[in-house]
Amino acid sequence: MAVLVDITKCIGCESCSVACKLWNKLPYGKKKSRKQKEEKDLDDDTWTVIQRKRVEAPSGKGYTRFVKKQCMHCLEPSCASACFSKALRVDPETHAVVYIPELCVGCRYCMLACPFEIPRYQWDEPLPLVTKCQLCASRLKDGDAPACVSACPTGALTFGGRDELLTKAHAIIEKDHRYINHVYGEKELGGTEWLYISDQPFEELGFKTDFEDIPPSTYTHAYLSKVPFLAAAWGLFLAAISWRYYKKHKNDPPKPPTPEEETREAGNHGEGDGMI
Amino acid sequence: MTRKISRRDFLKLASGTSLFGLGVLASGCASEQKDEGGDGWMPDQYQGRGDFPAHLKGRVAISPKNPSIMRDDEKCILCGQCIEACHNVIGVHGYYPLPLKDETACIGCGQCTMWCPTGAIHERPAVDQVEAALDDDSKFVVVQTAPATKVSLGEEFGMAPGSIVSGKQVAALRALGFDAVFDTCMSADMTIMEEASEALVRLTQKKDVLPHFTSCCPGWVRFCELFYPDLMKHLSTCKSPAAMMGATVKSYYAEKKGLDPKNIVTVSIMPCTAKKGEALRKELGHDGLQDVDYVLTTRELALLLKKKGIDFESLDNADYDSILGESTGAGRIFGATGGVAEASVRSLYYFATHQAPPANLLEWKAVRGLTSVKEAQASVPGVGTVSVAVVNGMASGRKVLDAIRAGQGSRWQFIEFMACPGGCIGGGGQPKSQFASSEDMRQRRIAALYQEDRGAKKRASHENAEIQTLYKEFYGQPLSERAEKYLHTSFVDQSEKIFDAETQHAPNTPPKAPKSQPAKD
Ligand code: SF4
Ligand code: SF4
Ligand code: SF4
Ligand code: SF4
Ligand code: SF4
Ligand code: SF4
Repeated sequence: MAVLVDITKCIGCESCSVACKLWNKLPYGKKKSRKQKEEKDLDDDTWTVIQRKRVEAPSGKGYTRFVKKQCMHCLEPSCASACFSKALRVDPETHAVVYIPELCVGCRYCMLACPFEIPRYQWDEPLPLVTKCQLCASRLKDGDAPACVSACPTGALTFGGRDELLTKAHAIIEKDHRYINHVYGEKELGGTEWLYISDQPFEELGFKTDFEDIPPSTYTHAYLSKVPFLAAAWGLFLAAISWRYYKKHKNDPPKPPTPEEETREAGNHGEGDGMI
Repeated sequence: MTRKISRRDFLKLASGTSLFGLGVLASGCASEQKDEGGDGWMPDQYQGRGDFPAHLKGRVAISPKNPSIMRDDEKCILCGQCIEACHNVIGVHGYYPLPLKDETACIGCGQCTMWCPTGAIHERPAVDQVEAALDDDSKFVVVQTAPATKVSLGEEFGMAPGSIVSGKQVAALRALGFDAVFDTCMSADMTIMEEASEALVRLTQKKDVLPHFTSCCPGWVRFCELFYPDLMKHLSTCKSPAAMMGATVKSYYAEKKGLDPKNIVTVSIMPCTAKKGEALRKELGHDGLQDVDYVLTTRELALLLKKKGIDFESLDNADYDSILGESTGAGRIFGATGGVAEASVRSLYYFATHQAPPANLLEWKAVRGLTSVKEAQASVPGVGTVSVAVVNGMASGRKVLDAIRAGQGSRWQFIEFMACPGGCIGGGGQPKSQFASSEDMRQRRIAALYQEDRGAKKRASHENAEIQTLYKEFYGQPLSERAEKYLHTSFVDQSEKIFDAETQHAPNTPPKAPKSQPAKD
């Protein structure tokens, strides 16, 4: 099953990202944003974000666009082919690229392999897992749309079969000259379940478009397993740094809040940070 | 079965096995899986394929730069109340075109905070800044209280909706350490002096700018600047009462008291979150000073009082400080829908005829009450019949504004707009009482304001003795050069932030070619 994102309809309300948190029971603000990046980005508790983009049109005018970011659910997922323990796999019923934590050994090949840099790692856990959008596979099986899609108030997100949505996307573009004649995700890396249409060029919205340079097979399981020694060493190396990281940060004093967090906290007027 | 043993436990069990071998082991033993992909809670309206129209879906967009409101995502349950209020009551969400230009539209009215059941949306707080100002000995901190706060603050302390607590509020603010406590009703009288004079000029000489629009509600002003900039010329150039008070404190009052205006901090207690945005307007200040430095909502004041342990109910009534503390009934009813129109017409009548307004204009039933668009006529000798419309809730306001755009403006000479339902008594900074968002709560608050009006010795703004002194000593006449400098303002077309002819015009021509080649097949 697929989702079509019409960027021209998104108002940046972030109902979708809140829905994702609710449905997947993901906590907020546990991480005091380690890299104090200006732009919101995915982390292990945040499987989707809305990124604000400023686009300069050739006319010199500036436009604000919001871009939803999450796992693209590739038809031929590099993450899954890189994963030798089959913790990442295509669910045959929904075509969601699902992650099965019980199978994950923490090698993080998937993170290297994913051309969209989606999977995140639970750095703060002693035995960390990888996390990413699951396309709400459990909802799809009940006939419900993904949580994010169902919460979108503007119709920027549409849920359906991939072919159906592609037809729809092309029909929209055909009828309306404001759209760029390109359905992002139709062909990129062999196609993805998440599809985007936009009135502004994708590369200016932060979409990756230069895939020619990265052969998707580079980091696949097949490639890596040809050099078993390298693979084993890599695994051990990753385990070692993550263990050191955990030890190092386990007893860290809380970091001073970023300005954004400060304003958020300022609204709480209270001791503690629970909800009242 | 695989769920029972989490991977973490499994790893603990199997520690000692090499990572590599473990991977093989793990992939071998997972056969039956529970469906992946979450099992959390979502409100009922989010079941199904998500492509059917539903009410109460999603939430309003709030820019991180919004000066009036902010949201704590962690508390949001996606109940959809905010988006309904913003669309159905305020006429903002769903009324700006897509794709976006610069921003989503917001007029800062804060109605979404009133509907939000979890407190996820709240005003942008200013309590800390006000406390810091109070602690700073070099600052002379002046506070003013809006009419609508006097009939609602008590609710935060368990009193019945509509309890009149103006005297207690003054005492409480003194206890907090404010150096002077002034009455926004007093500056509402100032507004009437200016606005009624201005309206009279328009009614008799400058008929081309009729209908005259009130300008005291910053939510409405912002709405006009965003959506109806072509009608901005109808706006009264008067600042809001809060800004007039700030400007007068930092000029006349400072001069009288020998204070350096730079050391004066002006705080306003408002029923309104839009006032927080208004306070930042470049147009509202003089000589590099902002008219109002900090705005606290009624809710924030209650919070501050509770924090300081002030027992509100047990306080004795206190009086506002002179020389900006006297008010008339006209100033008091500013907080209710219809109040500004009624107060204006009382003084307009006097300015036109030099006679006191007749009794029916002191109990002008036709402009009162919660109906979203009210119409009434007043006959003023020498001017003729003045047709008045009173609008509360901008979703209804659109009908009136669209009619004016369509050339039917001559139906009215004077239109009062308030963004919030019921006027400021139902403002976005008001206590969320047991009657939150219900008509009952608004009725009771409104009834209390009219009770205050009836109880006032003076019912029309021009009768206010402090106003008379202020004009004698400082402003001269309404609309004088000095009054223009301190009490009048200008408006800025904001429509280019949300409208854009290039990207938002109708779809009709063939699609453009992609700017660069998409990725390879
Ligand atoms: S986007 Fe990355 S994580 Fe998602 S399916 Fe594709 S390769 Fe895997
Ligand atoms: S599909 Fe589900 S898991 Fe993925 S971003 Fe949407 S809500 Fe989150
Ligand atoms: S819910 Fe829809 S409109 Fe809101 S941010 Fe997400 S995609 Fe955009
Ligand atoms: S403050 Fe008013 S205009 Fe802004 S989002 Fe809330 S209801 Fe809408
Ligand atoms: S009203 Fe409050 S809880 Fe409900 S959707 Fe809006 S922000 Fe979330
Ligand atoms: S009606 Fe009153 S409370 Fe509401 S936005 Fe206007 S001034 Fe503020």
